[in-house]
Amino acid sequence: MNVTIEKKFRTEVVYNGVEKPIQVEAEERVTALIQRAIAAFGVTQQPHLLSLFRQDGTVVNENQSVEQAGLKPHEVLLLRPNAVKGGSERLKVAGEVLPATFRMLQECGQGQCECVVYWTGSTSSGEVDGVEHPEHTRSPFGYEVRSQWLTDFWKRLASSRRSVRAQVHTHPDEPFHSSSDDRWPIVSQAGFISIVLPNFALGRPTLHNAWVGVILRDGRWRQLESASEVLVMP
Amino acid sequence: MNGLQNLDRTILLCRDYVPDGVTNYRICERLQTRQTLCIADRRNISTHAGQTALVTLVSLLSRMGMQVALDIPEVNLVSAQPPLQGSSLGAALVGANEAFVASATINTRTDFRPDIIFALGDTPIEDYRAPCWRLTGDEWSGRIEMDGLGEPPAWTAEFPMGSMASAALAATEAFKAALRGLPLRSLACQPFLRESRSASWDFGLSSIPMAGFDLGEVDFVSAGAISQAALYALVRIPKIQIRARIFEHDVTEASNLNRNMLTLREDIGHAKVRVVARRCPELIAGTIPARYGNGDVELEKLAPRVVVGVDDIPSRWQVQRRQPAWLVVGGTSHFNVSSSIHSLGEACSGCLHPIDEPGPNVIPTVSFVSFWAGLITATRLLMEATGKPHSLRKQHLWLSPLRMDLPRAAMWSPVPPRRDCPVKCLASRSLTETDPIAA
Repeated sequence: MNVTIEKKFRTEVVYNGVEKPIQVEAEERVTALIQRAIAAFGVTQQPHLLSLFRQDGTVVNENQSVEQAGLKPHEVLLLRPNAVKGGSERLKVAGEVLPATFRMLQECGQGQCECVVYWTGSTSSGEVDGVEHPEHTRSPFGYEVRSQWLTDFWKRLASSRRSVRAQVHTHPDEPFHSSSDDRWPIVSQAGFISIVLPNFALGRPTLHNAWVGVILRDGRWRQLESASEVLVMP
Repeated sequence: MNGLQNLDRTILLCRDYVPDGVTNYRICERLQTRQTLCIADRRNISTHAGQTALVTLVSLLSRMGMQVALDIPEVNLVSAQPPLQGSSLGAALVGANEAFVASATINTRTDFRPDIIFALGDTPIEDYRAPCWRLTGDEWSGRIEMDGLGEPPAWTAEFPMGSMASAALAATEAFKAALRGLPLRSLACQPFLRESRSASWDFGLSSIPMAGFDLGEVDFVSAGAISQAALYALVRIPKIQIRARIFEHDVTEASNLNRNMLTLREDIGHAKVRVVARRCPELIAGTIPARYGNGDVELEKLAPRVVVGVDDIPSRWQVQRRQPAWLVVGGTSHFNVSSSIHSLGEACSGCLHPIDEPGPNVIPTVSFVSFWAGLITATRLLMEATGKPHSLRKQHLWLSPLRMDLPRAAMWSPVPPRRDCPVKCLASRSLTETDPIAA
């Protein structure tokens, strides 16, 4: 028996209850279909979490072509997150942490050089209650933490059952995450927070103008809309 | 702005459709300046279901920061309506003025022009020159319809599940109307916010008896929004029997008020378990003010029926690994509800949610979405207790409350077992042995 496979057909994709026809080609990747659906529905929030699901609950394999995945003309597919995002707690920042951070960054940087501090807390709590100012070299364009200090720091953290919860560093002008910031955070674990303060942290102790980001599971950084997404400030 | 903190999560959710150039302040102001009018005559609020519809609607509107005016006669409460207090309906509602969310007023003034009107059942209304939806329904189904579309029946039912569904449907229309007045990210956002001229939800349980529910021992893991919405629904079921324990370590924060249905502003800073126990003491047999999985193993032995209301994926896995006989998991994701049930031997919650994606921990939420999650959870529990649980074909529900008028608003599906199930449940292990090519 000959089976005719349509090379170009349409699927029905459902997002937030709304159904839209999306054209596909048998040879194209499922990821292309997902991208087209994301664009059609105008999804802007966490689109990287979205996958397509069949009506039998199985997920459509994104590593395959439309044909390999067995998608059929007019098949109804649900576009939804592959992991319903969790709601664990935000880090609570103790009252003295932010003023102390600005004080250290201002005193060390003198409005002329970049500087860095690390926010620490007990491994058993969701609170930041310590600020560590490392030994480092500095310039208007960067800093480098001394490796011996880092070794001692890790030992100290282990013995006191504390961990680094976030790093905070300064930039001369605009706050952003440079490629070296992306590559060399002090902690490379998913969920780790990085904060970049503009203007060498001169001015009032606030995170309003800061760049705040978090490491995702795949190692990429995601900039957040505001610090309040991950931090509870006093 | 007063109330900005309380509406923090709702404003965050609005960002799905409202561009970054619109300030949080402006979104907050838009919500807080919506004038809603709720109208009911004596007949329509003389039953428990009618009263529950009104109380639930007012709570959901108020938790979005909206202003609520009531045009209702004075009637006594048929049954308690926690977290409200008082013996008469009007006094209880007005007593909650600014109690749900700061600056969200509830009063009986009607000398203003409403932006939107909600009328219960067949209550006659004057010509207010504002869009009006009617809330109707029966024991197990709820409906909204724009005024003039049909012949609305009066509320005559006592059993309240359908009335809470109609309230959730109505609150959604108020929210969408508010957002339609703000700039949107793109034209693609418009279909999600289009008004639903009529919408309905039927739990499909008319064959289930509406009295004598005995749920036995039930453990709730979390006293957050979904558990509170489920308990809010259960405490309104006449003569229900349940011995519930609640595990929760957290305290109430200002940002919880937008969705925690048993919580008032006065509860900020108080342990969530205490708040819940105070509001529905007849349901709660024990409170454990600790995170599940971190404490006493003996204490953490689970009841035969477990409700998990935490969005945190690893916490769901942890409960599932303890192999409860029956588990219902309720969650929200932006404007969607995820509800699943897992009996021993079936594909588990790890099969459904095999991935945890670390990221920002502030979850965007809004009152009516969280409420739907709790309402569905409560229904699943009632069905299980009566020996008529959903079939495997309906093991998972993906609900999109924004457009309940559309045929794809509710997407039911089985939960297929996965070889890479992080819980390594029985169903996933059997799969590995028998089907080497399965997902």
